[in-house]
Amino acid sequence: MASAGSGDEKAAAAAMITLISSDNEKFEVTEATATLSQTIRHMIEDGCTDGGVPLPNVTSKILARVIEYCKKHATAAAGEEGSSSSFSDAAFLEVDRAFLEELEEFDDAFLEVDRATLFDLILAANYLDIKGLLNLTCQKVADSVKGKTPEQIREMYNIVNDLTPEEEAEIRRETQWAFE
Amino acid sequence: MAAPPNQARRRGALSPDILFDVLLRFPAKELCRLRAVCRAWFSLTTDPLFVRAHAARHRSPLLVARFRADDGEVHVHVVDLSGTTVKRIAGAGSDHQLLCTNLDLACLATRWNTCLVLDPATAATHALPRYPVLGDPNREELYKPATYFAFGRAPATGEYKVLRMFNRPEPYSGDTDQLLDMFTISGSGNAQWRVMSRDFFVEARSAVVVGGAVYFLMNGVYFPKKRATVNSGIPPDYVASLDIETEEWRRELQGPISGSLDTNDADDRKEYISLWYQLALGELKGSLVLANHRGCQFVLDLWFLIDFEKGLWVKEYSIETESIVQSPSDEYLMKPLLVLGDGRLVIYTELTGRLLICDPETDTCTFVEMRQLDSIAIYTGSLLSLPRE
Repeated sequence: MASAGSGDEKAAAAAMITLISSDNEKFEVTEATATLSQTIRHMIEDGCTDGGVPLPNVTSKILARVIEYCKKHATAAAGEEGSSSSFSDAAFLEVDRAFLEELEEFDDAFLEVDRATLFDLILAANYLDIKGLLNLTCQKVADSVKGKTPEQIREMYNIVNDLTPEEEAEIRRETQWAFE
Repeated sequence: MAAPPNQARRRGALSPDILFDVLLRFPAKELCRLRAVCRAWFSLTTDPLFVRAHAARHRSPLLVARFRADDGEVHVHVVDLSGTTVKRIAGAGSDHQLLCTNLDLACLATRWNTCLVLDPATAATHALPRYPVLGDPNREELYKPATYFAFGRAPATGEYKVLRMFNRPEPYSGDTDQLLDMFTISGSGNAQWRVMSRDFFVEARSAVVVGGAVYFLMNGVYFPKKRATVNSGIPPDYVASLDIETEEWRRELQGPISGSLDTNDADDRKEYISLWYQLALGELKGSLVLANHRGCQFVLDLWFLIDFEKGLWVKEYSIETESIVQSPSDEYLMKPLLVLGDGRLVIYTELTGRLLICDPETDTCTFVEMRQLDSIAIYTGSLLSLPRE
């Protein structure tokens, strides 16, 4: 029936959020996807998402990636919720493991980006307060630095050593224990 | 110092915002290595805001430890609960023992009146003056004094204070006497020891600081069997306490154990006497804890002081120790140190110098794999901290 159909459409439309990137591109996402961002969740709670959510710090290129991440992880979260009641424990664990493996593969592939994109994703994850994405991207950078000497790190990230030789010697003396 | 704005906005550069989130993930030791990269990295990893955020994220406890047989140079070790040394700090004379504190500073002392405060983050030490209170002949002419110390922080003023206890032999009476002094650690060089009154002959080794008070068990001089002349009526689980802020004695507390023992009953009498040997004080979850290791039954009872004013004690734990104690006489002193986030307890066995992790849920205990300890303290500070003003 026509009236029922339009009611469904209305409900579906209500659950959609429009995100607007810094270069004015509009992205329609479900509320479940959007609320992986605590920042957006709070905006929804405060009822100020009508007419779209402007995100002046995030470009369309990065926002598209962020949404890709959130869609995947929102689906995974919904899948877990749905499956807990309808499967036996063993079956549930099996589904759960498959989900996690798939999610891990997704995350690994997701991180295959150039350095500038990775840093932009960190800034976006920080601004949008998406804990999982922030963890994932920061850990990737942390892993690249881990175990490296200060010299190697400078070279890797084009960092100019602006410490005077005296200052550097002083810092190294104070932190000698950390090199043991 | 923040990076210049043009650098911060350059795509692909490690801007301060990104760095903050990335570096938070490293343990303190790795971060100290990274301080030499450049000025921005140094500034960030020493910034108090960052240090606080780092501490909130890395909550696994650190301990300060001395080992019994340290090869060559003697060190103070900062260790984690896996028994791994995170930091070695050289210095501190070979005979100094750590006081079992729960602070962002450590304190080391000897029996012959030397005491120093150590900042594990910077390795800076502050030696306390040995000289007793000026003009007090009792303290100036001490013949072979045996000194004990307690170290704590006054909650309201934030002042760190050291309590010194002289156990002093009286050559003529065969008696011993006890003198107490207090010292405030401060920047000024002219700080003095202050004479304290003494209400009790306390067991100096039992001292533990909880929430601004030093608590003590009673000294064995009150043990009736040992000293026929003293029949004080003071039971073995009596607890005295001294307010660190006001430097005054507080109301003494009756312990929770001796009152329920019937001294006419042979078993109870034995239990009562052994209480003089098997009690220890500690702090867990901010409360004073009286630990009673009933060695013969292989049970460690932990009594929490819930209400000081009412003198209310509650036995929150009863831990089976049979699986880890070979002989009750080896391990009669068990000092509770910490409750971990998952509910497990960390306990120090003072005589054999080992750390024990007990899970009250499953009633299982395991020793932390590390060398035999000489003394231990809990470290609540951050190894990222810079020297204090």
